[in-house]
Amino acid sequence: MTPDDLPSRWSGMDRKALAIGEFTLRQQRKRLSTWVVLLVGMAAMGVLTMFYIDAMTRDYEAIDNDGDSYDWDLDGYPNGQERLYGTDVFDPFDHPGILDPSVQPDDRSVWINEDDFDWDALEEGSFGYDDNGDCLERNATASQKDANQNGVPCDILIQLDPYSLGESYEIISDGNVDEDPDDEAYALEAIHRSFVLAIGKLGVVFLIGIFVPLFMATGLIRNEMVSGTMHFMIAKPIARGEVFLYRMLGFYALAWVYLTVLIALLALVAGFVGPGEGLYRFDDLGVWFSVWLASIMAVTVYGMLFCSLGVMWKHGMVLALPFAAWELGMVLTTLGAPETSILRFSVIGWAMNVVDAGAAIAWSDTPLIIQMGLWGGGGGSLEGAEALNLFWSTPGLGLGALGTIVMSLFVLLFQAAACWLLGSVLFKSKEIE
Amino acid sequence: MMPDITQQGLPSTQAAAVTAPVVYFNGVSKSYGRIHALSDITIGLSGGVTGILGMNGAGKSTLFKLLMGKLRPSAGEVKIFGMDPWKNPTPYAHVGFVPEHEKMHDWMTALDFVSTFARLHGMTRSEAETEAKRVLNFVGLGDVMNKEIGRFSKGMRQRTKIAHALVNDPKLIVLDEPLQGCDPLARTTIMNVIRELGKLGRTVLVSSHILSEIERITEQIIILHQGKLVALGNLHAIRERLDEIPHTIRIVGEDARALAKDILTHPAVFGVSFPNDTELLIQTYHFGKMHSELPRLIVENNHKVSIIDNPDDDLESLLHYLAGGTSS
Repeated sequence: MTPDDLPSRWSGMDRKALAIGEFTLRQQRKRLSTWVVLLVGMAAMGVLTMFYIDAMTRDYEAIDNDGDSYDWDLDGYPNGQERLYGTDVFDPFDHPGILDPSVQPDDRSVWINEDDFDWDALEEGSFGYDDNGDCLERNATASQKDANQNGVPCDILIQLDPYSLGESYEIISDGNVDEDPDDEAYALEAIHRSFVLAIGKLGVVFLIGIFVPLFMATGLIRNEMVSGTMHFMIAKPIARGEVFLYRMLGFYALAWVYLTVLIALLALVAGFVGPGEGLYRFDDLGVWFSVWLASIMAVTVYGMLFCSLGVMWKHGMVLALPFAAWELGMVLTTLGAPETSILRFSVIGWAMNVVDAGAAIAWSDTPLIIQMGLWGGGGGSLEGAEALNLFWSTPGLGLGALGTIVMSLFVLLFQAAACWLLGSVLFKSKEIE
Repeated sequence: MMPDITQQGLPSTQAAAVTAPVVYFNGVSKSYGRIHALSDITIGLSGGVTGILGMNGAGKSTLFKLLMGKLRPSAGEVKIFGMDPWKNPTPYAHVGFVPEHEKMHDWMTALDFVSTFARLHGMTRSEAETEAKRVLNFVGLGDVMNKEIGRFSKGMRQRTKIAHALVNDPKLIVLDEPLQGCDPLARTTIMNVIRELGKLGRTVLVSSHILSEIERITEQIIILHQGKLVALGNLHAIRERLDEIPHTIRIVGEDARALAKDILTHPAVFGVSFPNDTELLIQTYHFGKMHSELPRLIVENNHKVSIIDNPDDDLESLLHYLAGGTSS
């Protein structure tokens, strides 16, 4: 035998990769379990989307957040109108009608949602505008109109909370400024963003990202070893590490396309159904893109890991489950404490960083929206604010949004490569019966 | 770039490859905990068909798995074309392996199966398809190659596996129990294929636990028993040694006693017995001679005989003799 007879280990690598990748894809296609897993994933996301569509198409009751649409003295004039003209809200004989010139009573609805938020940033300074004049034109002294004592009458003062460690803001209003926002507009926007973040982070990146590889990648090598069909594949001039990698590529071809289709469908539905002036919410695409990136990376790392666990032990699923439980704990941690350093020891912590940073770029006004909603005009939080506050996290790397994405993707790639190396070494040292 | 298998920084493997036997086991043992599947096997083979005989559990499959780099020897060295198969898959470019496992990718057609795995030899899609068609025709599956393997009979499945192993035109073909469970027609086809490969100058290793099967394929045999190599060489030479050992021939005919009277006169016979009226057992020291003369004895004396066979001419008895026992 001359050296020319022996094919180089590197020649024809792409042919082998294509052959095994294609074989793996076709094999998955022939399995009922593949379709069950993928369809269950689709169905679960579909059900969540139904709830979302219901939330978007429901009517939100316009709430009188400041209570000025009531008419306590039953003189026909809402309290807000009486306060504006300086008449007594408790005296039925003192109302704007007796003024000269006489003022006709407002319909009660005029004093509901009458003063929407007029803020454009969450930073220290003076914000807000008294839309209906019930502060500015009110019959009151200048000092009464500047309750927060910043020298600007009828505004909202935002300042850093002196008692909080992080960047937490305190909102101090002069009263009757931005006090009765449009509940429906706020709820739709906040619930829409909450949904995109929740289904993106928990649904697609975590649940789909972990369960699809759990059911489809754990057995990629193991099942072939157990059934004996691996003999056909490894009795060839191909290194086992290559077999491992190419099998994974076949799985990825399926999983990546699946995720792309799933996310595209979600983005399509949420973009058209969500609130907004245009026909489609193009602003959300940045968030969906980061969800796509994060989920692709999550299945990549989980796939390599679970496949390696399958090689390590024929009951690899048993090893994968405690890990999945750990990841669940970590995903909940990212919601509450995204800066916790323990998240560095997870896969999902890094994947969540990608989504959080992507959302921070695409929806940079979200912290403001959350604060507005939680403040709610001073009368308690608005519907949707708590949910948005829960699902929104500021990534805790301190690298800025783009830096966080780059760093997280790098770490995830490193994790995938390490898992591949582990799997290859395990597989290479495995005796196959 | 070639992997440097000599590990001496030499640029090529030429020196090792030219002189090395195709298959080389040197003092190879394999044990699983306390169980010794193979002990101290030393074999070197190049060219021709070699039958590996052994009972179930004798170590045949272990031997093949060591050869195919699926198991790592506990002691000794295994070489295939001069290379260690556990460390290096390169030699498999010239090897075809037919595993004993029954499980196959049932959802594929035979052509799909053979061509897909041919691509792992680095063939392009069209090369693989051409080669796959060639080998499927060679094993006689040309007309059913577009049917799913799941719908194949056992014999057709075995032939598909053989075709898959031949697709790279290998210099060494290893077949683990290729005849097991096959119908007589498939058996004949497979045996012809194996003999054909031997004539083409390939090194063929074929295992079986049935002596008569191997006998029809090749004369060169290796007998394994309880993980040890008990015999190696020409089957006829081994058989001649057996002629010195008492052997039993069973004849079923109309009148066993009349038959016995005539046969007892033959000098090679030293004893007869009658399990029942129609059955006769002959004890002989000259098994080969007895067999060649029996037909004449029967015809000359006008006996009516329905069966002649050798109840102890199976592997079990052979192993028994080789291990130093006597006919049971």
